[in-house]
Amino acid sequence: MNARMVIIVLVAVTIFCFSVVVGPHIINPFALDETSKEILFSIRVPRSIVAVLMGMALGASGAVLQGMLRNPLADPYILGISSGASLAAACGILGGFSFLGTFTVPVLSFTGAVITGGMVGIIGWKRGGLWPERLLLAGVGLSFLFSALLMLLMSLSSDDGLRKAMLWIFGDLSMSDWSKMPYGCFLIAIGILVATMRAKALNALILGDEFAHSLGFAPHRERALLFISVALMTAASVSLGGMIGFIGLLVPHIVRSFIGSDSRVLIPASAFGGGALLCIADLISRTVMPPMELPAGVVTAIIGAPYFLYLLGRKNVLTR
Amino acid sequence: MSLLANPAILEAKGISFSYGKDSDFIENLSFTIGEGEFIGLLGANGSGKSTILKLGSGILKPQSGELTLWGKTFRSYKDRDRAKLISYLPQALDLSIPFTIRELVGMGLYPYDTPPLIGIDDALDMVGLGHRGGSHLSDLSGGERRRAFIAMTLLQGAGLLLLDEPLANLDIKYQIELVRLLMRLRDERNISVVMALHDINIALRFEKVMVIKSGRIVGIGGPSSVLTVPVISEAFGVSGEIKNAGKRDAYICFEENY
Repeated sequence: MNARMVIIVLVAVTIFCFSVVVGPHIINPFALDETSKEILFSIRVPRSIVAVLMGMALGASGAVLQGMLRNPLADPYILGISSGASLAAACGILGGFSFLGTFTVPVLSFTGAVITGGMVGIIGWKRGGLWPERLLLAGVGLSFLFSALLMLLMSLSSDDGLRKAMLWIFGDLSMSDWSKMPYGCFLIAIGILVATMRAKALNALILGDEFAHSLGFAPHRERALLFISVALMTAASVSLGGMIGFIGLLVPHIVRSFIGSDSRVLIPASAFGGGALLCIADLISRTVMPPMELPAGVVTAIIGAPYFLYLLGRKNVLTR
Repeated sequence: MSLLANPAILEAKGISFSYGKDSDFIENLSFTIGEGEFIGLLGANGSGKSTILKLGSGILKPQSGELTLWGKTFRSYKDRDRAKLISYLPQALDLSIPFTIRELVGMGLYPYDTPPLIGIDDALDMVGLGHRGGSHLSDLSGGERRRAFIAMTLLQGAGLLLLDEPLANLDIKYQIELVRLLMRLRDERNISVVMALHDINIALRFEKVMVIKSGRIVGIGGPSSVLTVPVISEAFGVSGEIKNAGKRDAYICFEENY
């Protein structure tokens, strides 16, 4: 395994371990009392695992999309999937639906994400294949539409429902528990696995469809597979804890500058990098102003944006 | 029409193709590319050179007629197996691609589960880029960039290279250098090369040329017999003549007033 990949994995594991023991109440893992056990296994560990899963999904999705769409500004939210998920989740929250108990909002958001992904795919499909420009424009168009509908819905709703919906939309990890872990873990693992298995094809697609064909790949089929993997990961991530911005955009660029652009390494490295960044952002969000929590998405942007701007100052960072 | 002197690698029989419903672009085109042949594909802008290369590589599919690769239709090959036999380099190269030259050249191995006999270093050495493996495409000169992609096709192991205007935007030194490299590789590895190009003076050095106008062949064979005043006039709409100052000094002299 690439030595730099090992470093990224070790850093991610260290940050995860750190995030479960550090907080308003510091936990000594070698001397656990009942209270500490309760905090550790009922709150901190599931919350950090959800943060890692979401971060992995967003990081890997960003790496795939920036290559697949040949656009350095692409991120998992550009396809409009998260807007569809948010609209569906907001409908659930503001409408007071609870037909599936605590699963209602995640299931609604996942359904919204999948339906939106399908719509983007249908609009992006022409002459027997998915075209990057059409996907991008379809995603941006649907994103604007669903965001507008979301704003309309929120402007008509009560204060209490509005606050809940806002919290969820801007990324809320405070409600994380073990119950949603299995399906999130399953879908995100499938997505990362499919994307990593098609990483050679993604490399070839970055050169262009004609090169990809010449190297023995069917460009439209490969793009469809990668699109499905990204849609799965994004839908699962949004349904676990709402929208966390910047990770899908930032992490692949940061990781690329460290480990290179070969998608076979970049996708898993971005997954671990995304997991680490969201984990640390969540740690900061719940420790800087206790008992108040900052939205994790705000923290990821505050940490990531300055580093991103620093990277921009370096030669050709968007493409290397 | 046939260029056949050696066993046929690529054979087109009466193929037709159009980009839209109302236009016949390539109509009833037939040609054969033999093993080890080095062919220049000439024609004015929009004459169909790129379309013919894309049809020949399987990127575009003919709407009628038959295309065979080593005697079998394209459809009978799996994508990966076809990639081991034929390689296509498009005209436009994206300089912003994020890979190092080594990573780029290594993609030539993608069709293989077990790497073939030559490795990335061998391929880089063959094209004289052994020292530039860690560079990026944007760091290389125009000629070096083309050579990097040629190294990728060498690793791919394809017996037929279809190159769409690889000499475009290169100065005369790099043009000659690239043609010499391809001819050397053809001699050493017995590959066939079909290259679209615009420079008739360079094409005069080729063993065979195919001249295209509006998707049909107007001349095919040795350059001295094909690149004549009538053929050039028909294909390009200009008149000219071949001057001979010695066996290796033939050049086209245009008589148009600019």
